[in-house]
Amino acid sequence: MPRSAAAGGRYTPPAGAARAAPASLRSDIADAGLALAGRPGIAWAERAMPVLGMLRTAFETQQPFAGLTVAACLHVTAETAVLVRALTAGGAQVHLAASNPLSTQDDIAAALAAEPGVTVQARSGGDRDSYYEHIHRVLDAAPDLVMDDGGDLVNTLHAERSELIAGVRGGCEATSTGAARLRRMAATGSLGFPLVAADVSATRRMIDHKYGTGQSVLDGILRATNTLVAGKTLVVAGFGPCGSGVAERARGLGAQVIVTEVDPVRALAAIMQGFRVLPMTAAAPLGELVVTATGSRDVLGSRELSLLPDGAILANAGHFDVEIDIQALTGLAVDVHPAVRPYADEYVLADGRRLILLAEGRVVNLVAGEGSPPGAMDTSFAVQALALAWLAGAKLDPVAGWPFPDAAGVAAVELAAGLSAEPGQPGRVLDVPAGIDAQVASLTLASLGTRIDSLTAAQGDYLESWRQGS
Amino acid sequence: MPAETVPFKVADLALADFGRREIRLAEHEMPGLMAVRAEYAASQPLAGARITGSLHMTVQTAVLIETLVAIGAKVRWASCNIFSTQDHAAAAVVVGPDGTPDDPKGTPVFAWKGESLEEYWWCTQQALTWAGDSGPNMLLDDGGDATLLVHKGAEVEAAGEVPGAKDDDSDEWRVILSVLASSLAETPGKWTAMAAGIKGVTEETTTGVHRLYEMAKQGTLQFPAINVNDSVTKSKFDNKYGCRHSLVDGINRATDVLIGGKVAVICGYGDVGKGCSESLRGQGARVIVTEIDPICALQAAMDGFQVATLEDVVGTADIFVTATGNYNIITAEHMSRMKHQAIVGNIGHFDNEIDMAGLARLPGIKRINIKPQVDEWTFADGHAVIVLSEGRLLNLGNATGHPSFVMSNSFTNQVIAQVEIFTKTEEYPVGVYVLPKHLDEKVARLHLDALGVRLTTLTKEQAAYIGVPVDGPFKSDLYRY
Repeated sequence: MPRSAAAGGRYTPPAGAARAAPASLRSDIADAGLALAGRPGIAWAERAMPVLGMLRTAFETQQPFAGLTVAACLHVTAETAVLVRALTAGGAQVHLAASNPLSTQDDIAAALAAEPGVTVQARSGGDRDSYYEHIHRVLDAAPDLVMDDGGDLVNTLHAERSELIAGVRGGCEATSTGAARLRRMAATGSLGFPLVAADVSATRRMIDHKYGTGQSVLDGILRATNTLVAGKTLVVAGFGPCGSGVAERARGLGAQVIVTEVDPVRALAAIMQGFRVLPMTAAAPLGELVVTATGSRDVLGSRELSLLPDGAILANAGHFDVEIDIQALTGLAVDVHPAVRPYADEYVLADGRRLILLAEGRVVNLVAGEGSPPGAMDTSFAVQALALAWLAGAKLDPVAGWPFPDAAGVAAVELAAGLSAEPGQPGRVLDVPAGIDAQVASLTLASLGTRIDSLTAAQGDYLESWRQGS
Repeated sequence: MPAETVPFKVADLALADFGRREIRLAEHEMPGLMAVRAEYAASQPLAGARITGSLHMTVQTAVLIETLVAIGAKVRWASCNIFSTQDHAAAAVVVGPDGTPDDPKGTPVFAWKGESLEEYWWCTQQALTWAGDSGPNMLLDDGGDATLLVHKGAEVEAAGEVPGAKDDDSDEWRVILSVLASSLAETPGKWTAMAAGIKGVTEETTTGVHRLYEMAKQGTLQFPAINVNDSVTKSKFDNKYGCRHSLVDGINRATDVLIGGKVAVICGYGDVGKGCSESLRGQGARVIVTEIDPICALQAAMDGFQVATLEDVVGTADIFVTATGNYNIITAEHMSRMKHQAIVGNIGHFDNEIDMAGLARLPGIKRINIKPQVDEWTFADGHAVIVLSEGRLLNLGNATGHPSFVMSNSFTNQVIAQVEIFTKTEEYPVGVYVLPKHLDEKVARLHLDALGVRLTTLTKEQAAYIGVPVDGPFKSDLYRY
């Protein structure tokens, strides 16, 4: 059943809890006894995250985060644990809150909370109040750096804990949804420190969004429903990196895929890839599976929901649970059968049609599946870890200091160029420096055993020059 | 003894050099045919065979013809489609590897690109008419036109008269009737004698095979036939992968239209339709399939294609391709309802899948030839459709048909089938046969090395476990691949 949208009471921070990180900050997790149970999951993820592994080794030597406190609001999963361990290896104290109560894996939370230098504020299935309470608790640590996934941590910090702003050097945001929020904050001059929008990294969009999300959204739908995709009509709302990934993977499974878009360029891209593009009101009556991946809200509102065929399965791949209008769905329903399968609620409409809502409209790959596969998260988190090190002022000299001769050699020039820039004045949302992208791509290639060519000096000169013609 | 002169009618013998160069390249891509040449070089199993071939006169067919000759056969050839001849290939076959355009020493060919219907049936007759009144003793057919002429000729001779044409008869049928009328007048008994001398026919394609089974059912089939089409290494390769390659090639050469983003309708989801759907999807088109067979329709749906009726989508799609083996699939009325400059083409064997005669009869219709095998037909209301190859096989009319490697599979089956019937005539009473599975597997085997395929061999224990010989055949006849 959809939970109450009421805001509820807000957590009040302890008086005078300004700069000094309270030594007493403890983890708030479901069961510390699950720590052992969580370790194999983290070890499994570590094996699939070679780039973070390489960064961790480098951070151990270089200590880019020595003496720094990181407040993070991320999905508490095994992959996040691998990221956190890379940061603590680099000298950071990390305080982690869950960015979504449904995605928290309690065993992972327990295993991570048992690590030195880490506290975890996350219990699976928590409500809105405990969600914000957890965010406040990690803010109590008075962070030097922040990592956000959706923008709630940064937003709360500005709205309710503004005394902490001055102490924050910067941070990074993982999602497009959060980055869009932060840009709106920056546009009104409300952002108090620089933030790297890690969602726009080229490597991240390619690997995590398109392939990671594309695969895991279908995985989530399959786990929740066990429906045969071949022969079904699947409607994807949104043809951004996530939506196009879902569309391609669904086609690979034999679905007929229909795309809905508001952006003509993306709609055209879908058409050129052979997808059918329709307005949602025309697509909805055909949609046996409907996946929202827009970052917007009310993509399936009352009107669209009322057009869906009997048995339609609805899933959201976007960050927030606003893409499918659950209030509208509840309003249309004469009866609700919760949990007809785990993470699948059946809404019965007045004319007898049944609509299956997965994961209560929350991000289906994280709720009903396991989120983006670790191999994809590896890229994203490597980008974020490097962005954070950059913001921390670390001297990341790729040639002298980085123990990855092959990969670093490829990207050395670009990395040096990209990282020579200062993070810039406070209050700006920054793109991921090109050097970080090149570095992550190089490390990923190295992990895949792929060797690529290097420009010769003559080729480099040629590309720099403009006088040479035919 | 004076050198035998080679009878022929082709476009231009001066094209022979170019044809020979292409044949040389094709030989490398046709490892199956070349392996058969080597295998039978000494034993010459087709010595004494007089083969009349009716099959697209392309570069690949040239390699087939020269393979038949290399293992002992005498051959006369015509194309089985008025547009499909590659004139340089025809010239090279006539000239032969050892001749010159001034002194051709190759094989008689009667074929050129762009024959009229009268010329086409004249060519077929020439291919069937051997010196000294001897007819062929083997047929190699594609679509069954040579077989049809022999059978209809014998039928007419038995009846003593040629039936009159009916109002709804096609132009082509009228031509056939007139051919039969003159032969009945000039050389009575020709077809009857010819039919009696033919040991068998090997048939290349679905459409011809369909005719053969019909004749066998009616008891009118005069000689045994091997259905080469239904060899796995033919229909599951040529029909599917060949069309996957040559459909987009034909559309591109004809129109150079960007296929990505377009909506394409494929009529028929058999082997050919499957290859066509995959190829257009691969170019970024959204493919819609039409079907009458629930099994094929379900296959299309499970492969992620929208399945609709032509009526549903005729007004919205950009490209239409027929691949049914049936007739009147796209009618003139359908075409009149298509979008302006919709592209209409056929990849099925005959030109009756698209009702070209009906289109030409529409009041106010105008035909503008854009370039060879590309016509714009403008309707009275001013909108137009683009028809490729006048509704004939567009992959052969607008491009060069299937690529050599795929044809090597098909043609190796043809050669093996010719050898089977010619050398084991008594084992094949009148009827329609498919090649035994071990020969099908042999054809596949002959093509593996060229692709660097490393095959795993069953252990004796494994072979016993699934109850097959170590060297095959590996599958039951019911297996569908």
